[in-house]
Amino acid sequence: MKNPILEAKGISKSFGNIKALDDVDFFLEKGIIHGLLGENGAGKSSLMNILSGIYIPEKGTLTINGQLIKRLNPDLASSYGIGMVHQEFRLIDSFSIKDNLTLSKSNIYQNDFSEAFSKYSDIFALNLNAMTPVSELSVGEKQKVEIMKLIFHNSSIMLLDEPTAVLTPQETVQLKESLETLSQEDEKTIVLITHKLKEIKDFTETIYVMKNGKMVAKDLDTKTVSDTQLIELMMGEVKTSKFDKNNFKGDTKLEAVDISFTNEQNIKTLQNVSLEIKSGEVLGVAGVSGNGQVELANIICGIIKDFEGRVIVKTKDVTGKGVKSRKKLNLSYIPENRLGVGLAPGVSVLDNSAIKEYFQASFGPHLSKNVLLNSLNDLINKFSIKAPDVKAEISTLSGGNMQKLLMGRELISNPDVIIAAQPTRGLDVSAVDSIHNLIIDQRDKGSAILLISEDLDELFKLSDRLIVMYEGKVITEIETELATVENIGLAMAGINE
Amino acid sequence: MNKFLLSKKLYRNELATFYSFLIGFLIAIIVGSIILLIQSKNPFDVFSLMLKLSIGSVNSLSNSLNKAIPLILAGLGIAIINSVKLWNIGAEGQIFFGAIALNFVYINTSIENSYLYIFLLLASGFIGGSVCILLPALSKVLFGVNEIITTLLTNYIVFGLTIYLINGVWKDPNSLNFPAAAYVSESVYLPTVFGKLSSGFLICILFTLIAYYIKDKSVFGYEMRIAGGSALTAIYAGISAKQKAFIAMLIGGGFAGLAGAIELLSQTHRVSTGISQGFGYTAIIVAAITGMRPLGIFLVGSLFGALAIGGSVIQTIGVSSYISDIIQATTLFGALIAQFFFSYEIKRVKDD
Repeated sequence: MKNPILEAKGISKSFGNIKALDDVDFFLEKGIIHGLLGENGAGKSSLMNILSGIYIPEKGTLTINGQLIKRLNPDLASSYGIGMVHQEFRLIDSFSIKDNLTLSKSNIYQNDFSEAFSKYSDIFALNLNAMTPVSELSVGEKQKVEIMKLIFHNSSIMLLDEPTAVLTPQETVQLKESLETLSQEDEKTIVLITHKLKEIKDFTETIYVMKNGKMVAKDLDTKTVSDTQLIELMMGEVKTSKFDKNNFKGDTKLEAVDISFTNEQNIKTLQNVSLEIKSGEVLGVAGVSGNGQVELANIICGIIKDFEGRVIVKTKDVTGKGVKSRKKLNLSYIPENRLGVGLAPGVSVLDNSAIKEYFQASFGPHLSKNVLLNSLNDLINKFSIKAPDVKAEISTLSGGNMQKLLMGRELISNPDVIIAAQPTRGLDVSAVDSIHNLIIDQRDKGSAILLISEDLDELFKLSDRLIVMYEGKVITEIETELATVENIGLAMAGINE
Repeated sequence: MNKFLLSKKLYRNELATFYSFLIGFLIAIIVGSIILLIQSKNPFDVFSLMLKLSIGSVNSLSNSLNKAIPLILAGLGIAIINSVKLWNIGAEGQIFFGAIALNFVYINTSIENSYLYIFLLLASGFIGGSVCILLPALSKVLFGVNEIITTLLTNYIVFGLTIYLINGVWKDPNSLNFPAAAYVSESVYLPTVFGKLSSGFLICILFTLIAYYIKDKSVFGYEMRIAGGSALTAIYAGISAKQKAFIAMLIGGGFAGLAGAIELLSQTHRVSTGISQGFGYTAIIVAAITGMRPLGIFLVGSLFGALAIGGSVIQTIGVSSYISDIIQATTLFGALIAQFFFSYEIKRVKDD
């Protein structure tokens, strides 16, 4: 490293018992685009929040332009020229583009706004009047204004947290060109945070990789580093513990035929996806999140109805029908988003425990509280859930107990088909084990299981077969016995041999 | 340096809402007393007179309960709509529209059997309330328009309509130029059951039980709770949150419309601006104080009815009737603040 503009050494930060950052080093060089790669929860955003003064680290030193910084705060960070674009937009919707760009006191284009605006509009290919209210902009245009805001606030170090997550492929290419111009002409130092391998190789000159709060690789040269190397760094080691895979497989219980879907932003999130799962079989879906897994699950479960293709549950074609048609065929869905989708916040444990089959406790318009209470007690005993007060809000339960309640609720009817999305994310080791046992148990009882996960360890342990999704397509399908971290990882990066 | 953090309590006392009400009421009495003292009145004398003249005799008690009927019914409607986390500020308009719908049906029909006729008229009041909230309900579920604004604005439209009708097409030629529609025939007056207590109060009890059943014991109430808790969970569960919101609004509007019908058939006997004296707004206070619980609404509504009667009679000793408005409003303030402290706690954390 020749001349670092920013040096972070030995940074550590914990939230409660979770170590978000553990002795992390990070260096930035002037005028260069740096890539920061890592899975969800690897600590990328925490590190950026420390550099922009939002979080205070417990340990470590920060040096900016050779000057040791004692204690950074957001104001100070911006005076050192550090600016960040967060994943969620921080624009004022009812204000014009101009007002948003010039809002800060550190704004440098007070008098020559229009020249500066037209210059950077060219760089960003933004064809808009500066007086347009931000609320009228598309998501991609808002993203451009967010990045322009950093320039107008005189940021020389630009931290961009997953800027491409909301962009179409064409917009992503455009963004790449804009950032290159900024780094070359304006000597901006840029950090691009992403979990997409392809982008990090396209955009950057040097790459840092994080895994579980640690910096596992520093200052890799983008030109010479291989995809395989990056994937191994990002995924880490996969333990080879596996459940017995001599399970009996029966008839096909779930079939998805040639499914394509275009979302509201007009992005094709699924393209010709087909899959088939037999009774007693676990099909694992690997892939970096955001490659169409959520949409696929929502289509199979009847939440999204306007898709192309067909969904067949137990030989019945349920295409175009809603959630209840699937419930009647005993399909269960454990959604990725536990509190907010699977469970309703602010509603009691008792009410939440009945969401799948509350109508079974009904007699005409009457809902029997006793039936609900009895089924809940069943759940509590069978799945050893700790719920001290069933009339209290669901958020009084711990994360593990919430997931057990959700899993129990969906599994107690011994479903024919189970869709489980990230069932163990954020849980501690013992909770993970018990959830894995529940899934295998259910497999042996004859359920057809679709397991969507980002955790390769989990997928290898539980699945009979694996498919890998990339940009809405099934890029690889393979028996788990033949799968290796390398070939799955490459497929996750969109490379198919 | 120490910092203070507000954090939500995980467990809430089941009777917290009731205690909050008592605390709020106590604060209100204290505030009321201070105001009376400033006016050099003895609060004890004033309040004991209020008590005596609002619940001290069969007549005054029945007056109080009659006053409570529209508060309770409109409050129940607000509580049903709030099950899906929506606010009905339009109960006042729905009360008037219930009375207008009743009068419309009364003018255009004639039924010999007066019980049957009364039933028909009450039903048209209920339907009138539903019709009144139809536009806000449709614009909410179709276009996501904020229901607080639309229900509030509907009040002004309906009030204008009332003025138009009683000064125009429905104006009673025998009213000596007082703007009011003609009286309905005595045969459709709601009979009294006890002193001056209208049989509307029995309807009120019945509808309290119905509202309680809908909210706490029915499948529909369950689906409303889930839809109110999280729209995404409702979609996931196959519950149409919009459909539940729409039906809840129509039922809630109907409750307020029924209040207007009962008011007409038992008190005013004709459409006039006196159909409601802000009952629809006071009902919001009643519903909010009780945390939207039907049985609580029945009790607090009855108390507020008595307060209104007590407030109007103390004018005879030179005390403004606004003292009862002050007590009602301060009770809400006090109760909401007390509820806050039952739900949240202030924690001291060490800044690192």
